[in-house]
Amino acid sequence: MFLRNAEPWMDGSTLGEHLEESGVSRRSFLEFCTEMAVILGLGSAAAPSVAKALEAQKRPTVIWLEMQECTGCVESVLRTEAPTIGDLVLDVVSLDYSETLMAAAGHAVEKAKADSMAKNKGGYVLIVTGSVPTKEDGIYCMVAGRTIREHLEEAAEGAAAIIALGACAHWGSVQAARPNPTGAVGVRDIIKNKPIINIAGCPPIGDVVTASVVHFLTFGRLPSTDREGRPLFAYGNRIHDDCPRRAHYDAGQYVENFDDDAARRGWCLYQMGCKGPATYSPCPIVQWNNRTSWPIGAGHPCIGCTEPYFWDTMTPFYRRLPEVGGFGVEERVDTIGASLAIGAAAGVLTHAGMTVLHQIRRRKSMKQVPEHEHPATEESHNG
Amino acid sequence: MTTGKPRPPVRPSWFDTKLPRARGDITWIYLWGAPLRFSHWLSAVTLLILFVTGLFISFPMWVTAGEASSHFLMGRFRFIHYTAAAFLVFGGIIRVYWMFAGNQFERWPALWPFTRTNLRHALTMLKSYATLNADIQPHFVGHNPLAQGAYTTIYVLTTIMIFTGFAMYGQSNPGGFFYTMFGWVPSLLGGLQHVRLLHHSIAWFYPIFFCIHIYLAIRSDYLERAGVVSSMLTGGRFVASHEKFEDCDLGDQPAVPWHTGEHPVWVKEP
Repeated sequence: MFLRNAEPWMDGSTLGEHLEESGVSRRSFLEFCTEMAVILGLGSAAAPSVAKALEAQKRPTVIWLEMQECTGCVESVLRTEAPTIGDLVLDVVSLDYSETLMAAAGHAVEKAKADSMAKNKGGYVLIVTGSVPTKEDGIYCMVAGRTIREHLEEAAEGAAAIIALGACAHWGSVQAARPNPTGAVGVRDIIKNKPIINIAGCPPIGDVVTASVVHFLTFGRLPSTDREGRPLFAYGNRIHDDCPRRAHYDAGQYVENFDDDAARRGWCLYQMGCKGPATYSPCPIVQWNNRTSWPIGAGHPCIGCTEPYFWDTMTPFYRRLPEVGGFGVEERVDTIGASLAIGAAAGVLTHAGMTVLHQIRRRKSMKQVPEHEHPATEESHNG
Repeated sequence: MTTGKPRPPVRPSWFDTKLPRARGDITWIYLWGAPLRFSHWLSAVTLLILFVTGLFISFPMWVTAGEASSHFLMGRFRFIHYTAAAFLVFGGIIRVYWMFAGNQFERWPALWPFTRTNLRHALTMLKSYATLNADIQPHFVGHNPLAQGAYTTIYVLTTIMIFTGFAMYGQSNPGGFFYTMFGWVPSLLGGLQHVRLLHHSIAWFYPIFFCIHIYLAIRSDYLERAGVVSSMLTGGRFVASHEKFEDCDLGDQPAVPWHTGEHPVWVKEP
């Protein structure tokens, strides 16, 4: 669509020249810039600035490291709406290394990576998907005979910025969930001296990645982030506050079973354990796969995959609150709390009854003081 | 009021027949300042509202029918919850002020009575409750250390509730005041779900505390006849002149009969 007959983008030529050579119309380029400006929260009025900055851009280099992961993030980015994957990864940015997408293999590609890193030292963008295993010296993830940690440290050395793509790359995701057998950690736990942006999600939305790269190319720096390192343009709002089912939440209309009438009517999934109230993500707005749908739109509660350590903190996915263990059987906090409260009430009533009985017995055993021996006032209350 | 016929004597009920009359001088002392009493009852009402509305928010047991546009059930419950929370915090601010302006029983050092002697007294109180033996109870003008420990615990728990509550409240307006001020809470607890769980778990302490607190206050009134329950309304309690207290020496407090209206005001530790 965007770069139908793409020519290879040669070193030294700007993006503007490259697009012209490839026969891309000015119009479609500006459409792309407008869309990116909108996603970035700059507003469509910023499109000319984005276009100006982008077309003057020299060919950027991207190294994509895939570590301990499932490749789902790559799949997600491949479905970026505009530009299409061929345009984005193979042309707009020059992907010099990516295990999943590159055609070459073996020693040749390792050499190409080393050459590219040496040549563009300090200037390339490092995209990282997957987590880094740290136990047993990191032998759980090896590429080309070396641990992925060595690859990461080597690649990060000359990177201008690191894009940690997906939940694994920042928090370790499922591999780092308790008991974390491989000692999986995110990139930020290994690399401390580089700007890292956290494109959270399992997987993240492809358009967010594209927009972040465009932001980097336009402004020469990564977009501003929240305290979890996620770009604010995408992760600035809770799903709950942008949710099209929010009216049902406020009205008190909830799905209680996946096959009930409320589910068919598209009511709120709060009771089904939806983590929308605790999750920051652009899912309701940007949606997935060319705006086809998104989890809550499809009737499934949000599992909170853009939040820290979501496999530990957001589970169980179909319950609102985390489980409380420690009794052998998993008990819900309400069961424990209500039992304790009822126990306290019962205990108090028992104690009260016993106190009264005890007191009556005690008083019966007392000797009554005759009225004339009593030194108190003359009022005769209480016998 | 009446003339002529002599009035009949009071006929005691069957279980009070052998109750001895109080001996000696009874004095009414002013103990709890108005700000403390105000914040106490404000907390009582708001905490009750907060617990009930909080239960609904966590588990909406009623589902409305028809169009969403004609209902606002959860919205109203949340509004009441947040409003009650605001009033609770208002009362809390007054209580904190009174921790510095109140008398020795209300000031902040009184919240922390955990000296060796006081721990012993607390243990004796527990023993007294367990054996139903009121005679071994140590006497205090203010709270006994066991009660004070419970109140201090509730203060601490309520502070946690306020912080976790505001942390969740702030989420609806990212970058806003509450989001920024309480942003460290989810980070500290490891995510919003843990904030939610903590807030939800602590909520169950309140009905438990309500039961025990109200029971023990009434029980103490029943056994000691010192007017403990009404002290939270009138501010004062009765003391017998011969009674010895662990937390302070009433010393030469004049034994003024309480009904004369000349209430000695207890201000400072001698």
